[in-house]
Amino acid sequence: MDAQDHYLAAEIQEALARDPRLAELHLDVAVVGGAVHITGEVATVERRDAVLDLVRSRFGGRDVHCHVSVTPTEGPQEPEAIG
Amino acid sequence: MIRIAAVGDIHYGDDSAGRLLPALRAVHEHAELLLIAGDLTRRGTAAEAEVLAAELSQVQVPVVAVLGNHDYEAGEPERVRAAIEKAGAVVLEGEPATVRADGATVGVAGVKGFGGGFAGASGSSFGEPEMKLFMATTELAAAALADSLESLGSTDLRIALMHYAPIPETLQGERLEIYPFLGSYLLCEPVDRLGADLVLHGHAHRGREKGVTPGGTAVRNVAEPVLRHAYAVYELGG
Repeated sequence: MDAQDHYLAAEIQEALARDPRLAELHLDVAVVGGAVHITGEVATVERRDAVLDLVRSRFGGRDVHCHVSVTPTEGPQEPEAIG
Repeated sequence: MIRIAAVGDIHYGDDSAGRLLPALRAVHEHAELLLIAGDLTRRGTAAEAEVLAAELSQVQVPVVAVLGNHDYEAGEPERVRAAIEKAGAVVLEGEPATVRADGATVGVAGVKGFGGGFAGASGSSFGEPEMKLFMATTELAAAALADSLESLGSTDLRIALMHYAPIPETLQGERLEIYPFLGSYLLCEPVDRLGADLVLHGHAHRGREKGVTPGGTAVRNVAEPVLRHAYAVYELGG
């Protein structure tokens, strides 16, 4: 990662945390050869779309690869006995 | 035997209505009590808390929660707390709660907690006032947890509920560099000194579910992205 990519990745990560529509602190951002790669998980499909919107609108003109998945919400597995 | 459903880091927002509702409506089929380990909301606004409160009001078992760091972001954690409590849930920050379930009493000591790091790699209350304030925040949370555990008295089961992690084992999968922002060993010490049957925490989305305190108490990281389910169920006292 060259210096420009390095600082851009940090800037995008901070923007994802600070943007009030997102407040996403648990996503990883890598910039490789100017292309942005975002990985991790968010709670809803809308938030995944919002991540992509933010990166494209504020850091546009680059390839953006969004590998963000949505946390599942199924009922519980078998209970675990503790103790 | 008591069955406890637990989850954390559900991060409710304006777009979350209905997300966990089917699972929440069915909690009573799986457990006698639901515990929520903080980060109830995304940004900590009262409006987000109202979305969750509407769904918690449909849960048919007692609900006990603590707040997380996200619930402080908008600067109105007391409004988040009020909205959740209006739905009939109990939100703890250093208070003890005793719930009767299936003929037994379950004591819950709850705090949000804070960071600092783990034994041998922890911040110290030293140097700049900002650093002292950081560590004092964790020390206060640990003291509140200790008071809460002490005042529970003799319940059939004792559970420590927090948002930040008390041990590093359940953080494995997170980057080592951020461990001091994910929890503190100071939150574990009262549990081992005063005793509990189970410790529940969240906050570490990429950690792992299972760990144990140095004193031998089970610790479970119930962050929803770790569980990959709406909640986990633990059976105690069997």
